[in-house]
Amino acid sequence: MSFLQPWLLLGLPLVALPLIIHLINQRRFQTIHWAAMMFLLAAHRMARGYSRLRQWLIMLFRMLAIAGLLFAASRPLASGWLGLAAGGKADTTIILLDRSPSMQERSAGTGDSKLETGRKQLVQTLETLGSGRWVLIESTTREPRELEAPAALLDLPEAGPASAPADLPLMLQSAYDYIAANRAGRTEVWICSDLRDNDWTPESGRWSTLRDAFLEFPQGVRFHLLAYPQTAPTNVSIRVTDVRREITLEGADLLVSLRLARQGGAGDEKTTVPVQFEIEGARSVASFELTGSLIEFKDHRIPLDRTRERGWGRVSIPADANPADDDFYFVFDNPPPRRTVVVADDPQAVHPLELAASIAPERGMECTAEVVVEDQLSTVAWDQISLLLWQAPLPTGEAAELVRAFVDRGGQVIFLPTQNPGEGELFGMRWQTWTTGREPVPVENWRSDADVLARTLSGAALPVGQLEIRQYCGLSGECTPLATLQGGAPLLARAPTRRGAVYFWATTPSARDSSLATEGVVLYACVQRALAAGAAVIGKARQIDAGGAIEEGTTDWIRLSENSESLSTEAGFQRGAYSSRDRLLAVNRPSAEDEGRVLADARVGTLFRGLEFARVDGQAGDANSLIQEIWRIFLLSMLLALLVEAALCLPRIGRTAGAAA
Amino acid sequence: MSAESGPRSFLDVGVLSRLAAMPLFARRPMQGNVSGRHASPHRGASVEFAEYRKYVPGDDLRRLDWRAYGRSDRFYVKEFEADTNLRCCLVLDTSGSMGFGSTGVTKIEYARRVAGTLAYLASQQGDAVGLACVAGGVVQNLPPKRNAAHLRLALDILERTQPRGETQLAAVLHELAETVRQRALIVILSDLFIEPSILRSSFQHLRFRHHDVAVFHLLDPQELAFNFRRPMRFLDMEGGAAIFAEPNDIADRYDRALQQYLVDLRQVMLESGVDYQRVSIDESYEQVLARFLVGRAQAKGLR
Repeated sequence: MSFLQPWLLLGLPLVALPLIIHLINQRRFQTIHWAAMMFLLAAHRMARGYSRLRQWLIMLFRMLAIAGLLFAASRPLASGWLGLAAGGKADTTIILLDRSPSMQERSAGTGDSKLETGRKQLVQTLETLGSGRWVLIESTTREPRELEAPAALLDLPEAGPASAPADLPLMLQSAYDYIAANRAGRTEVWICSDLRDNDWTPESGRWSTLRDAFLEFPQGVRFHLLAYPQTAPTNVSIRVTDVRREITLEGADLLVSLRLARQGGAGDEKTTVPVQFEIEGARSVASFELTGSLIEFKDHRIPLDRTRERGWGRVSIPADANPADDDFYFVFDNPPPRRTVVVADDPQAVHPLELAASIAPERGMECTAEVVVEDQLSTVAWDQISLLLWQAPLPTGEAAELVRAFVDRGGQVIFLPTQNPGEGELFGMRWQTWTTGREPVPVENWRSDADVLARTLSGAALPVGQLEIRQYCGLSGECTPLATLQGGAPLLARAPTRRGAVYFWATTPSARDSSLATEGVVLYACVQRALAAGAAVIGKARQIDAGGAIEEGTTDWIRLSENSESLSTEAGFQRGAYSSRDRLLAVNRPSAEDEGRVLADARVGTLFRGLEFARVDGQAGDANSLIQEIWRIFLLSMLLALLVEAALCLPRIGRTAGAAA
Repeated sequence: MSAESGPRSFLDVGVLSRLAAMPLFARRPMQGNVSGRHASPHRGASVEFAEYRKYVPGDDLRRLDWRAYGRSDRFYVKEFEADTNLRCCLVLDTSGSMGFGSTGVTKIEYARRVAGTLAYLASQQGDAVGLACVAGGVVQNLPPKRNAAHLRLALDILERTQPRGETQLAAVLHELAETVRQRALIVILSDLFIEPSILRSSFQHLRFRHHDVAVFHLLDPQELAFNFRRPMRFLDMEGGAAIFAEPNDIADRYDRALQQYLVDLRQVMLESGVDYQRVSIDESYEQVLARFLVGRAQAKGLR
């Protein structure tokens, strides 16, 4: 139980007052010599049971009355339905607000979203609790922002909905930094979130570090989680997976690939979903049948004016539980040429790599590959390169810096081993020695759900298991294996990077090393996927996950789509179509937002293990206050106790008449 | 009041003079060795005709009623009541509980006034007066006599007696029933804090011995109305036991026990033919005695 005036509870020993008075009274009795002792003895015998009980009951109710008064004066707090969850007045109250798209899921009743409900409940709660200082850390910028009063949450644009996901560990890190930097006293951290797995990343190692860090604060930090874990079972989301322009005999078509996803619970029910396509304001509608939880539609054709080579568009479905995933923006332009730089010292490996990089996957797409030596790297026009294929000792010095800069810009690099790998190290990875066996080493497993070895759009897996790996080079360093050989050695691994992507193949397409060249599908798919990702970065029509372009800055972004009330400074976090200089940008929620996985209750408890933590679950549209003062209940209890005490103290009816007889 | 008795603090001359007009009657025939105003159980030559009965051989021929013989041709013997004096035995409870009094007068003082006045009145009308002070046993016993010196002695005892010890009234009444041989008016002055069932046998014993029994049941008003407000420690005036009690808690049960006792006691008195007077000692003892004497005079008229 928590109280707004907890110091008044120091008076709780006063509850013993009736007992003390009783004991004092017993010592202050009057003595009388009494003749009619036989009646007194009889009365005393009769009174032994009920009267003693009544005496104790009177004392109990007097004590309850005092306790009720003290509790009422201490202003106890209660949350609506889970019991009591708040603390007393804190020196600093930090609000971590999850603004991610999933928080915009609405209730069927009031129409308030989880975010709006959470803000209202937070305002009611925090105004009741009071605090010396209120600080907002919202999920987009994660910058601490001091508020004059909790009511500012209702008006502040930065507390409104966003398309960017939340990163709870980073928000907590921000809260930690604020507490440490400002030397805050007793701090309450209120987290308002819908517990989506992608926002909380519970497997992240940052949680244990954060727990330890918060535990080190001597003043104590108390966490309150205001959770809205319910999901709408029939919510449908739409996403554009690919857009490209195609020249036809009549003119030009825009080919739009879609993905419709439905959250669990609907089973195999078939639903017709009308999808509205909007290209630069021109609208058309097409219906798609959705069966099961996920369906993809490939290349829906929309006629275009032949002269329109670039532009923006939007697909949308009728409003449902979550309006944040009911539309998706896209931009299109002539695709940039897919240029690859190949650095290789093994002539047998160069050719397959060059082929894989230069054969265009589609008609009309320009793919080129240029083979250079390491010394020529400085002459390469890196801003036009999408992929770097490196089959040579790991670069060092200036060459290494160029590669790093390329990756930081969003470029893709695939490293392959050379016969003499050397001692070089890059991106935390280092080549080891070659391993050669009599028999080819089979591929044991590989990740087919994501990244460069993912299944094709038709759902078929890449034939990675059919590869013959005759010899492979060992790898050391912290990486994510995408394919592993029998025995656990990585065949393909991805090194951690902030932007871009760096892959390491443990073998080469050379015939003595593997069948990557002869069974070229895997190598081709891998190279082309990396190439496509690299081209997407340098293209003039880019799809960006909300919150993903923050490093580039959004000051020169111009919004192309209407109906947004968001701040221009938040452009990178709000879905929409934008132009920046000669580029077209489509900002949308990340794909992880559509998954809808919610963190299990036990897992949440584990994340805050050892910390002072209280959780209250709410529902979107819940108008009830999160915390209520319940002093009236205690006051009524006190009055009731006094009434009962008075009733017990009343003399029995008829006693006076009997005595007079 | 006679000159021989001297001034007594517990005797009020005014009360004595007013009550002197009311003779003390026994409700039953009395036996005495001198003539007086009380009916005697013996038949013989006297002043008051009693009844006729048939002559049986052996009867004194002088008592034959010849006139009756002349009218009815049968022999009848005329019998007369022999009037005699009253033997009044006052039994005063002097146990510790009689020392209680919440109105400025203790029960023993009140009993002393009643007993002294009765003794004086009886003596003045020529009756014999005796006094027994009882507590755990018979503390003082003065057999009934009718001379003035005896009255003075009885009043001396009354004046000196103090409440002390536990009461064994029931046992003492049994003892008195045996020791008072002739029929007498036994006047008991006590708070009767004894189980009524125990008293029943004592009174029946007295009645078996043909005594006329009268009881003054003396109670203090505070004993009747248990009206304490503060927590009290009650010390037994006879045994010394102590009870701590919250009056509010115990008062109703006290009243119930008291009322039950009074009902039972009245029932015992009725069954035993005892002349029962319940007296709250805040009443005027003159009125109590006047009521008693009038009641007895009326009872005599009905006999």
